[in-house]
Amino acid sequence: MSGTGLAFYLTTLLVYGAVDVIACLGLNQQFGVAGVTNFGYIIFQAAGAYTAATLSLPSQSANGGFQTYIGGLGLPFPVPWIGAMIVGGLLALPFTFLVGRRLRGDFVAIGLLVAAVMANLLVTNFRPFLNGAAGLALVPAPLHSVLDPQSLSYQWGYSAVAILLAAGTYWFCRRMTESPYGRTLRAMRDNDEVADSLGKNLRMLRAQMLVIGGMIAGLSGGVLVGFITLWAPSAWGYAETIVLFAAVIIGGAGNHAGAILGAILVPLGFEEASRFIPAFGPAGLIPALQWVAIGLLIVLFLWFRPQGIIPERRRTTPAAPEKAPSTVQFAVHPRWGPAQAATGLEADAGAGIGEAVLEARDLSRRFGGVDAVAQVSLALSRGRLTGLIGPNGAGKSTTLAMLAGTLPASGGSVWLDGRDITSVPAYCRARLGVVRTFQLASEFKRLTVMENLLSAVPQQRGESLRGALLGRRYWAADEGVSIERAWDMLDGFGLRAQADEYAGDLSGGQRRLVEIMRALMAQPEVLLLDEPMAGVHPKLATEIGQHLIELCHSGMTIGVVEHELAFMDRFCDPVVVMAQGRVLAAGTMAALRQQPEVVEAYLVG
Amino acid sequence: MSLLLASFGFGLVAAAVLAIATVGFTLQFAVTDVLNLAFGAVMIVGAYVAYWINQAGITVWVGLLAAAVVGAVLSFVLNAIVYAPFQRHHASPIAVVIVALGLTLIIEFGLQSYVGGTSVSYTMSQGHTLQAGGLQLTVVQLVILALALASMVAVHVLLAYTRLGKAMRATAANRSLARTCGIRSGRVVTVTWLLSGALCGLAGTVFGMNAGSFNATSADLFLILILAAAFLGGPGKAYGAMIGALVIGLATEISAAYITSSYKDVVAFVILFAMLAWRPTGLLGTRS
Repeated sequence: MSGTGLAFYLTTLLVYGAVDVIACLGLNQQFGVAGVTNFGYIIFQAAGAYTAATLSLPSQSANGGFQTYIGGLGLPFPVPWIGAMIVGGLLALPFTFLVGRRLRGDFVAIGLLVAAVMANLLVTNFRPFLNGAAGLALVPAPLHSVLDPQSLSYQWGYSAVAILLAAGTYWFCRRMTESPYGRTLRAMRDNDEVADSLGKNLRMLRAQMLVIGGMIAGLSGGVLVGFITLWAPSAWGYAETIVLFAAVIIGGAGNHAGAILGAILVPLGFEEASRFIPAFGPAGLIPALQWVAIGLLIVLFLWFRPQGIIPERRRTTPAAPEKAPSTVQFAVHPRWGPAQAATGLEADAGAGIGEAVLEARDLSRRFGGVDAVAQVSLALSRGRLTGLIGPNGAGKSTTLAMLAGTLPASGGSVWLDGRDITSVPAYCRARLGVVRTFQLASEFKRLTVMENLLSAVPQQRGESLRGALLGRRYWAADEGVSIERAWDMLDGFGLRAQADEYAGDLSGGQRRLVEIMRALMAQPEVLLLDEPMAGVHPKLATEIGQHLIELCHSGMTIGVVEHELAFMDRFCDPVVVMAQGRVLAAGTMAALRQQPEVVEAYLVG
Repeated sequence: MSLLLASFGFGLVAAAVLAIATVGFTLQFAVTDVLNLAFGAVMIVGAYVAYWINQAGITVWVGLLAAAVVGAVLSFVLNAIVYAPFQRHHASPIAVVIVALGLTLIIEFGLQSYVGGTSVSYTMSQGHTLQAGGLQLTVVQLVILALALASMVAVHVLLAYTRLGKAMRATAANRSLARTCGIRSGRVVTVTWLLSGALCGLAGTVFGMNAGSFNATSADLFLILILAAAFLGGPGKAYGAMIGALVIGLATEISAAYITSSYKDVVAFVILFAMLAWRPTGLLGTRS
C-alpha cells in the first residue's frame, strides 16, 4: 500500500470508528444505563443518514431522475447533520407509547424489532420515498463546493470532525450518566416498579432515553452518509442492531468507556478484519461466518462475562467525617424535625394528630375470579403507627399496594388529606408524600447503598435532564445536603461501612434496612411498610420500631404490614385485622385479644 | 368478488402455515418463559432437512416428518445447552431474548455457510386445482390446511383433556406453584420444547412448500409475522395464537390483492402496533 493509499485507509478507519463509537454510546445510554432495550436502534441511524442525504442532495430533477426521493433541498453543511439529529429524535416519538409501565421491557424490545424490519421493508419497496432498494447515491460531501472531498487534507479534516463529535457525544453521555439524573436512570434499569414507587416518572424517563438515543443514532447516520456518499436499505438490516448490541455487551454495558471499546472491537474490528483474511470458500462464506462469530460472542459473553470487558464503574462517595457517637441515633428528617418546628408545620402536625390522612373507602381488588380484597375501608391517622395483620392471603399486601398506587384498584377509592387520589399513578402519589416499601427484596442491585439512599430524595436539582446537563456546579451543593442526610441515616442504622458496597451484595437483613432508609430519605408524609422486619435481627427490629414511633411523634403517618405479633403488641396502635380480603376488626392489640373471632381467625391459627 | 375469494383462499393457506408456527412459538413462551426468537431459524433448519430428504428422491411428505423430528430435537438441545442454563443463572428476560438473537445469527448463518446463499425448492407436484364456489386451492394447499387443522385440534385436545396438557397449563400459570403441587415442571418444560419444536419443524416445511423457494435467512420476515400473530392473540395464549394467525394471514393476503403485495407484511405491523397501543395483553389476554 502506498503512502497516500495508507493515509486514505487510515482516515476511512477513523471516520468509521468515530461513527460506530457515536452509535454505541447512544445505544449504551439507552440499554446499558437506562435499561431501555431498543432492538430497532438501527432505524434511527438510518433515519439520520437519509435525512442528511436528502437535505444535502439537490432536488431530484437536477440529477436526471435516475433516483427519486423526497426532499432534495440542497442545504449547506452543517444543516443536514443537525437535521439528522432532529429527525432521529422525532422518529422516537411515535414509539414512546410503547415504553409506559404497562408493557414488559422484552415486549417493547420485540415491538421495536418488528418496527425495524417493517421500516426496512417499506423503504425497500416504496421507491418514490427514498429510491427503494437501490438507495441514495452521489450524496454531496459536506462543504464540497469550497473544499475538494477527494483531497487527503479533506479526509483528515473529516476524520477530525468525526472524532470531535464522538468525543462530544461521550462528554454529553457522561454528563447525563454521572449525575442524579443518571442515578435515577440506573435505578429504573435495576427495578422499575420500585423506582416508580419512589416518584420516578418512568414513561417520561424512557421517552427521553428513546429520543436522546434516537438523536445520537441520527447524528451517527448523518456523519456516515456524508463520508460514504451513499445509503441503502441493505446497510441497515435489523441484524445491524444486533452488532451494536454485541459491541455494547462485549465492551461493558453501562460504562461509556466500555461502549467505545466495544465499538472499536466489534463493528469496526469485524469490518476491518475481513480485509486481511485471505479469501476462502465460496462467495458469501466469510460474511456468513462473521455473523456466526458475532452470535457466538454475544452468547459466550453473556454467559462468561455479562458485565463486559470494562464493567460498570462503582460510584464511591467521598467519606464524610464520622460524627461523635453521642449524636442522636437516628436522623429525624427535616420536614418533621425540630429544625422546622418554628415554621408552623410542626404546630399543624401537632394539631392534626389522630386525624385521618390516608383512607381506603370500599377498596376492592379482583384477580381473575378471586376477590383478594373486598370493600375494605380503613384509615391511617396522623402520628399513628397503624398495624395491619392477618393470615396469609388476607389481602394485606394487596391493600397496601392499592394505597400506594403500585396496583390499581378494581373498585372503591383512596383518599389523601381529603382528596380522592384513586386515579393518581404511583409515582405521583410518591411525590404527594405516600411512599411504600416492598415485601420482596427491592434494592437497586447495581447501585451502591449510598446511591440507593440518594435515589429516593425528592426534588433533586440534578435529577431532571436539564439539571444534569447544566452540570455538577448546578447540582453539587444540593447533592451535598442529601449526602449529609444519607450519612446520618447510615450512622443511625449502623451501615456506614457498607455505604460504597453494591446493595445487591448485602445480606438479606441489611437489604431490608437499605430499603427502609431509602423510604425515609424520600421524606414521606405517609410511610407504608410491607413486612419490614422479615430477616432483621430482633434487637435491631426493636430499635427500628422505636425509631418509627419517634417519626410518628413528629407527625409522620405510618402503616405497617407485619407478621411479628410482638412488634404489633409493642409499637402499633391501632391494629387492623384482615382475613379473606375483609377487615375483621380494628383496635388496640389488647382489645383485639378479647375478640373471639379475631383470635380464631388469626391469633391462634 | 372472485379476487376477494381468491385472496381469501391464499389467506387461509397463509394463516394455516402461520398458525402452526405461532401456536408452537406461543406454547414455548407460555410454559418455558423463553421468547425464543430463534424459532424462525429452527424452522428453516427443518425446511432444509425436508429438502435434503427430498433431494435424495424421497417424497417431501416423508421429509415433513423428519423436519418435525429435527425441529423437536434441535429445540430440545437449544433449551438444554443454552436457555435452561441461562435461566438457572437468573438471567433477566431481556438477556434471554438477546441470547436468542445471538442463537438466531449462529443457526441461520451457520446454515448459510454450509448451504450457500442461493434459494432452493422442493421437487413436488402441486396436484390438481380444486374449485368450490370461487375458492381455488391446489391439493397441496388443501393438505397444508388439513395439517394445520389437525395440529390445532391436537393442541386443543392436549391442553383441554390430557394430564400433560393440564400440567402444561399449570406450569404456564405459575411454575413454582405447579412444582409444589406435585407437577414435575422440569419434565413438562422438556416435553413442551419437544412438542413445540416438532410444530416448528413442521411449520418450516409447509412454509417452504407455500413460499415455493427459500434460503437460510427466509424466515426472518416470517418470524415477524409469528410475533405479530402471537402478540395479537395475547403472548402465551394458544387459542389467541390461532385467532391471531387467522387474522394476520387473511389480512396480509387480502391486502396484497387490493393494495400491492410489497406491503402486505406491513399490514401485520400496523395491526400489531394498534394492538400494543390499545391492549398490550392481546385479544385473549387478561386485562391487568
